[in-house]
Amino acid sequence: MFERGARVYAANGCIYCHSQQVRPAYAAADIERKWGDRRSAPRDYIFERPVFLGKMRMGQDLANIGAHASAEQASPAPTGAAPPGGSPSGGTSPAASPAPQGGAPAAASPAAKQSPNPSPATQGASPGLAGSPATASSPATAAAASPGASPGSSSPPAGAPPPGPKTGLASPSPAAAANATPGGVTAPSSGSQTAGPPWPIQTIGEPPMYSAAWHHVHLYSPRSINFDSNMPAYRFLYKKRRISDARSAEALQLTGSDAPPEGWEVVPTYDAKCLVAYMMALNQSHPLSEARSAGGAPPAAASPAVSPGPSAAGSPAPAK
Amino acid sequence: MNATGIPLKEPSVSAAAGATEQLERAYIDASTRVPVLMFYTSAMAWLILGTLLAGFVSFKLHEPDLLSNISFLTWGRVRPAHMNVMVYGWASMAGIGTAIWLMARLCRTVLRYPLLLLAGACFWNLGVLLGVCGILLGDSTGYQWLEFPGYAAIILFVAYTLVVSWAVLMFRYRRGEQIYITQWYLLGAFLWFPWLYAAGQLMLFVVPVQGVLQSAVGWWYANNLLFLWFGAIALGTAYYMIPKVIGRPVYSYHLATIGFWTYALFSSWTGMQRLVDGPFPAWMITASIAAMILAMIPVATVGLNHHMTMQGYFPLMRYSPTLRFTVFGAMSYTVFSVVGLLISLRSVAGYVNFTQTSIAYSHLGLYAFFTMVIFGAMYYIVPRLVGREWRYASLIKLHFWASAYGIGLMTLMLLAGGFLQGADMENPTLPFSETVETVLPYLRGRSLAGILLTAAHFIFAYHFGLMLLGLGRTSTVPTFLNPVEAEETSGKVSLLSSLESSVRSLSHGWD
Repeated sequence: MFERGARVYAANGCIYCHSQQVRPAYAAADIERKWGDRRSAPRDYIFERPVFLGKMRMGQDLANIGAHASAEQASPAPTGAAPPGGSPSGGTSPAASPAPQGGAPAAASPAAKQSPNPSPATQGASPGLAGSPATASSPATAAAASPGASPGSSSPPAGAPPPGPKTGLASPSPAAAANATPGGVTAPSSGSQTAGPPWPIQTIGEPPMYSAAWHHVHLYSPRSINFDSNMPAYRFLYKKRRISDARSAEALQLTGSDAPPEGWEVVPTYDAKCLVAYMMALNQSHPLSEARSAGGAPPAAASPAVSPGPSAAGSPAPAK
Repeated sequence: MNATGIPLKEPSVSAAAGATEQLERAYIDASTRVPVLMFYTSAMAWLILGTLLAGFVSFKLHEPDLLSNISFLTWGRVRPAHMNVMVYGWASMAGIGTAIWLMARLCRTVLRYPLLLLAGACFWNLGVLLGVCGILLGDSTGYQWLEFPGYAAIILFVAYTLVVSWAVLMFRYRRGEQIYITQWYLLGAFLWFPWLYAAGQLMLFVVPVQGVLQSAVGWWYANNLLFLWFGAIALGTAYYMIPKVIGRPVYSYHLATIGFWTYALFSSWTGMQRLVDGPFPAWMITASIAAMILAMIPVATVGLNHHMTMQGYFPLMRYSPTLRFTVFGAMSYTVFSVVGLLISLRSVAGYVNFTQTSIAYSHLGLYAFFTMVIFGAMYYIVPRLVGREWRYASLIKLHFWASAYGIGLMTLMLLAGGFLQGADMENPTLPFSETVETVLPYLRGRSLAGILLTAAHFIFAYHFGLMLLGLGRTSTVPTFLNPVEAEETSGKVSLLSSLESSVRSLSHGWD
């Protein structure tokens, strides 16, 4: 499944926008962006074929995308654990955030509740987008938690007509409102650089987000999750079908205009499942002696530690 | 290797000798007619297809919802389809067509074994067609410029073998002692390409190397394809066209020798600089950066040589389409190399890595440099094949300006956008999505540039189609961009006379 997923990844050109490498702290801001807690090392790719180091970042780095999901969500069965309305909101999401970023998980669920929007469905309004005061007050991670929670929490209104979420758009962000990706869980890309959360703004709330279910929704309708997203939708990897007797466990938790009509559901094809399984397996968080993890240390401290790194590949330490 | 003065000398030695030589050339040109036109026509078809795909890619990049629900039109498939159509369909075929014609001319023999070439062209077209369909259907391999699935790659290789065996045979049958600079480059290109392609295919697919080395091989291949295959053909063509059109020998053969060998030596080391700061041994990347720096030697020598050859003859660009395109291309070679060097330096590379800059770079190389030179060559060669002159000077001018402004705008947009994108990416307080937002306006600008290029290509294709149908002008004078009478100032007359005589003498031996 992993291999097939890699082939789907190659065939659909994911590589042209997504890299899979974390550059060392002395060279780039990749680690500060929490794309990984250590630089990528040659050993990380030793059994991969093809290797998708990437050439362009119109989308974020995926080297550790699988590491951002919790253990239970890492299982390829998408949303199996979360039948509509079944999982309490935030039930899965806080758990989802990776351990190293201590504090983030804890912050997540309360933050979600702190969200200024009363109805869960309106969380999509992305308080962060317009740099609303809400964002400033709640830690970045907080707002982020809402998307993770969304598959569970927002599913009840999923069947509801779009107007519901739209009216709920309390957020001051006119753009989001105009687009009306209703109920969509917009990743809050807040402009509040001043907040300086331990977790960089860009990844706000993303840790709980990167579950298999989240990936499916994101692939199906990227802009329902992140309004700013520039990613094309990959709907051809999904099929819409009539619900025969009971709603399939793997059906996507879609909301708003993306939601299929009553009595229909959107399910991933085998290719889509493989692709998500592949992404969930992308994980370079295991420690390697040649690329010391930044861990708790500030990134700056990591750079000298990195120097012996490439020696594993039979080379002298990088010059600079 | 000292070939002072030959085939490029004015055929004005004596009337009788000149006439013989003209007749001979015309005879040779006639023999190349079918194969070269076949390669050119296929190339034009691929150019149009590639242009349409390019426009599609460009628009989809800032309008992600455009037709995204159809699997074979998804961005991630159309983009490699566009690149491969341009690289293997347009650029390679037009390059081979030009190279065939130049080879026949410079070997001074009629074209032998045309069947090899015709079969080669058929197989090549089939390979590209299969490959593009494969990519669109989701069979892409995911390696830059090697996306063609295996079945297409094999066909391409067979096609190529046919072409290169022809080239070697032709070279064996050459007449005359000296080998002109262009032939070095062409032979080099013909022998380097299979080496590159085979090495890329073998190391990635047949006996795949492990881990990150795959990326190293991939980038090495992509960069060297640009340098050693396209670059070599374009430089060889420029070395022929510029002196030929202005009727003056190349400034210095010593410079040319230095330029050629340093080019061959250093270019082949490049490629890894694109992996800067990646999970690689640092020496591999540093070696490539050093090679990029050393590759300035051939750039300087070739640039100097062309410049000195053109010295005093620049006003002719006002009249000769070939010269205008070729000189633009030759100048772009310098720009391309300098930009390439700048974005390879470690401090800059870390900054612009993963941004649109790399796209700007490959467009500079493949379009501003290679394609413009080939356009120039086609403006020179096609009239000699079909026995007609280009019909409308205005269309040629339009083509030139749309292409020149288009590629200029595109490069500027992508470079500027890339640098800003890189700056944003280095700023961890900025959300990633904003780095994408930053570059979007520039991508829209790029689409605008793409519209210009599309217009240019359609104009050229139309004009080319007229020529194929025999609707060109029948005239003894080649089509000049501006009426010659208009510029009767004393200085230019002599230039013009040399231009005219050289062009006419070559063009109208047969007709």
